[in-house]
Amino acid sequence: MGITAQAAASHPSMGEDTFTLLVDRYYAALYRFALSLARSQADACDLTQQTFYVWATKGHTLRDTAKAKTWLFTTLYREFLRSRRRDTRVTSLEELPSGESDLADDEIDRVRQLDGALVLEALGAVAEAFRAPLTLFYLEDLSYQEIAETLGVPVGTVMSRLSRGKDQLRAALATRAQGPQIVPFPAVQRRQTP
Amino acid sequence: MNNHEAKFRLKAYRPGGQDAGAAAFCEALAQAERDPALRAWFAREQAFDATVAAKVGAIVPPAGLREAILAGARVTPRRATWAWPAWWWAIAAVIVVAFTFNAVWRSRSDTVPLDSFSRFAIDDLRLGHHGGYGAAEGVLETALTNPATHLAGVLPIDFTKLEATGCRTLHFAGHDVLEVCFHRAGAEFHFYILPRGTLRGADGPHMLELGGVSALAWNDARYVYAVIGQTGADTLRRLL
Repeated sequence: MGITAQAAASHPSMGEDTFTLLVDRYYAALYRFALSLARSQADACDLTQQTFYVWATKGHTLRDTAKAKTWLFTTLYREFLRSRRRDTRVTSLEELPSGESDLADDEIDRVRQLDGALVLEALGAVAEAFRAPLTLFYLEDLSYQEIAETLGVPVGTVMSRLSRGKDQLRAALATRAQGPQIVPFPAVQRRQTP
Repeated sequence: MNNHEAKFRLKAYRPGGQDAGAAAFCEALAQAERDPALRAWFAREQAFDATVAAKVGAIVPPAGLREAILAGARVTPRRATWAWPAWWWAIAAVIVVAFTFNAVWRSRSDTVPLDSFSRFAIDDLRLGHHGGYGAAEGVLETALTNPATHLAGVLPIDFTKLEATGCRTLHFAGHDVLEVCFHRAGAEFHFYILPRGTLRGADGPHMLELGGVSALAWNDARYVYAVIGQTGADTLRRLL
């Protein structure tokens, strides 16, 4: 039995089976969420492990075990916020434009053809304030209310950020769907010899 | 609810249908049913969201991550910031212990226990077998015997020396107490000396009379004193 599992099993309210069940149920979604936040596979693994480590040592304090899912996502998000060095760049969310343009059918087709890694890359290009709720939304594990609870923001804010985040994601996906731009060489003007 | 508001809400509607029963979406969904344009917009949104969700859901965690979590592969886990409160708890505990110790200490040493010290001296007179020796005691006894000596004045007391050279030593409330017998005008008196230490000063002097024995206690900066005799309280007061 590993350190984390030992720590988990040491709590009377949480046996090793329960811990394993939680890991099996949520570790993949947590990893995806971590990957979208940290944008690095190693950091995402680290965050996921750290989250379960925190659960193993502190999870027993959670009275309502039905909240374990939200608790895990919240913990991962907090660990992420703590681990990263805060970017001094502050974006006023209210200043970001809210897109109102409707989706075109070919836009959806282009996304279908994209590789999953490119979609995740596009997700990573979304401003962090929007990225966290947007990723949780696409993971489909949490309702908008649970996302609000996880991120500690009002429900209305989640809806607003989802809306704006989707606009940013569409822009980022459109850039990737176009592929690399081919810049033609300027025509070389041959010097005429007399 | 207009279409703008409906779109705003429906953008939070998960493509997998998990929110089908959520009350927050009922009105917007009903409106999408009624309005063909909104319905078409919603269908495209759902298709887009389902596509992105499928792509995100297809991301596979690295091999071994699950096992690493379960096995606690990170034997030395990074110190989580939530561990800091343990330090704060430790500091808080030290402070609490210090305050408790201080409170107990202060309660024990709140005031000089003149009354109990007087009772102790009276009991000693009744029960004790007095006697002491040593040069230092001799000097002090001489001074006490001198009618010109005021006991509340400066006396030749070197507690450590007296204790070490044979002056009678007793114990009171965990402290060593010296006792010296002396006579004045044919009457016998007994003089007790208790180092103040951490004891705080008390208003004094304190007179106590029990069974024909009088005790007068007082203190100065260094010691708590008691003198007892069987010739009355006034006699004791004149000694000061």
